[in-house]
Amino acid sequence: MTDTRSHFHQELEDLEKTLLGVADRAEQMVKLAVEAFTDGEVPKANDVIARDDEIDQIYLDVHNRWLHLMARQQPMGSDLRMMSVLLHMNTTLERMGDQCVNISKMALATEGLPRVDVISDELREMSDLVRAMIRTGIQAVIRRDADEARLLPAMDEPVDRLNRDMYREVVRSGPDLQRLEWATKAMMVSRALERVGDQVVDIGEQLAFLLTGEMAEFDEEGVIGAGDEPAT
Amino acid sequence: MTPETTSDTVEENRPPTTMEDPMEQPQAITQTGTERSGSVDPLDQPSVMRTEAMDVFYGEFRAVKEVSMGFAGNEITALIGPSGCGKSTVLRSLNRMNDLIPTARVEGRVLFHDREIYDSDVDPVEVRRRIGMVFQKANPFPKSIYENVAWGARINGFKGKRADLDDLVERALTQAALWDEVKDKLSESGYSLSGGQQQRLCIARALAPSPEVLLMDEPCSALDPIATLRIEELMLKLKERYTIIIVTHNMQQAGRVSDRTAFFTVDVNERGQRTGKLVEFDETDRLFTSPAEKETEDYITGRFG
Repeated sequence: MTDTRSHFHQELEDLEKTLLGVADRAEQMVKLAVEAFTDGEVPKANDVIARDDEIDQIYLDVHNRWLHLMARQQPMGSDLRMMSVLLHMNTTLERMGDQCVNISKMALATEGLPRVDVISDELREMSDLVRAMIRTGIQAVIRRDADEARLLPAMDEPVDRLNRDMYREVVRSGPDLQRLEWATKAMMVSRALERVGDQVVDIGEQLAFLLTGEMAEFDEEGVIGAGDEPAT
Repeated sequence: MTPETTSDTVEENRPPTTMEDPMEQPQAITQTGTERSGSVDPLDQPSVMRTEAMDVFYGEFRAVKEVSMGFAGNEITALIGPSGCGKSTVLRSLNRMNDLIPTARVEGRVLFHDREIYDSDVDPVEVRRRIGMVFQKANPFPKSIYENVAWGARINGFKGKRADLDDLVERALTQAALWDEVKDKLSESGYSLSGGQQQRLCIARALAPSPEVLLMDEPCSALDPIATLRIEELMLKLKERYTIIIVTHNMQQAGRVSDRTAFFTVDVNERGQRTGKLVEFDETDRLFTSPAEKETEDYITGRFG
């Protein structure tokens, strides 16, 4: 097969690689940000904030490259769908970085406060779950595997549950006001992690759109649209 | 179509059957093209014209095979595909333009309001009055702007008064979005106009006999981008009154103007003979974002060969 638009397709591929690189960075940032909060490590929090500045730069760069491709190439078919996915992913990943910054700011704001071990453990668990989701999402995109993407809602379920139940741990952490203050901030960390999980599911939905041409949100079984088979 | 009715060049010389014109009474427009199957999306509404398993031959050579598709009223249908895919051949078969080529032969059915246009009792001149054509290169006659348009009406037997002819010329030029530019110089030569104006003059000439369907064979390929956009705007306006079928090499043009798009490609057999075929026919939105066929996808994304 001759690719008469190989230059354009190379640029599409480069943009995708750039964004997968950002996803990889985001996964590292989730780890660092949660460690900064649970272990009170200020340098890690500052590191995450600096890394987010890099992501913001990449975000702007990708946006410009995307815009130029759109203006010059008039993509169609799967190329057009890919363009839509790339624009969407760019925004989603940038926001993922922002959530990591939110977590890091909580770490800075709670420096020196007493921590609640049960809550720290749950946040670490959420971090592990969310990072596994990001890696699954990256793999699904690389392999163009819609079935793998459809695993994401199920992976997100325990993240949602831990977030929902977090307030109980916060209530139990009293009556010490300093512990309570830390625990209250921990709830915001939990909330940020829950958002990151949703954002990964979103990327999975974008991949399914790329592969099927149907745009719809996954339900809990990762099913999109009416006629689709659930992932097994 | 039966074999004995395929000698179209003979029919060409018959006098028009004016007493009882078989094209005069359009029958009910019904959708019967249900036999279409495979990748070709059946038209989901009544069609003004349709082809059923249409083959076009030049001598022994089959240029296009088994084209089944419908053309909906007041819509623009674009025919796209690589060179040699037969899209112009299909277009020219829709108003018997290929009759003028002695070796050309059409098999299968070409229906206009459910009437077979290749039937032996159908007058090809009447077919071309009802189904007009605009060509790639603007081809005005070496006559005045007025006469260029009036000609279209005159060869179709216009016998009215001069004032009526004046009205007809003004109406056609207005519909072709040219009236304001030429109303003060109707007696000047058609050649005095710019390329884009000449093409709109040819559109006015095609509209003069009041056709129902307008076939356009790459009408903008000789025009600059601004003139092209003007013709495209004009097409969008004309579809309110007419059914338009356009062949274009420019996929962006198909995307900008058409409601539905048909993608044709070419099969090469072991003897090196190339035959065009219809791969996919669907709403343009769908065909350009999520085509059903890999051949379409490869073509519109530039991966083919």
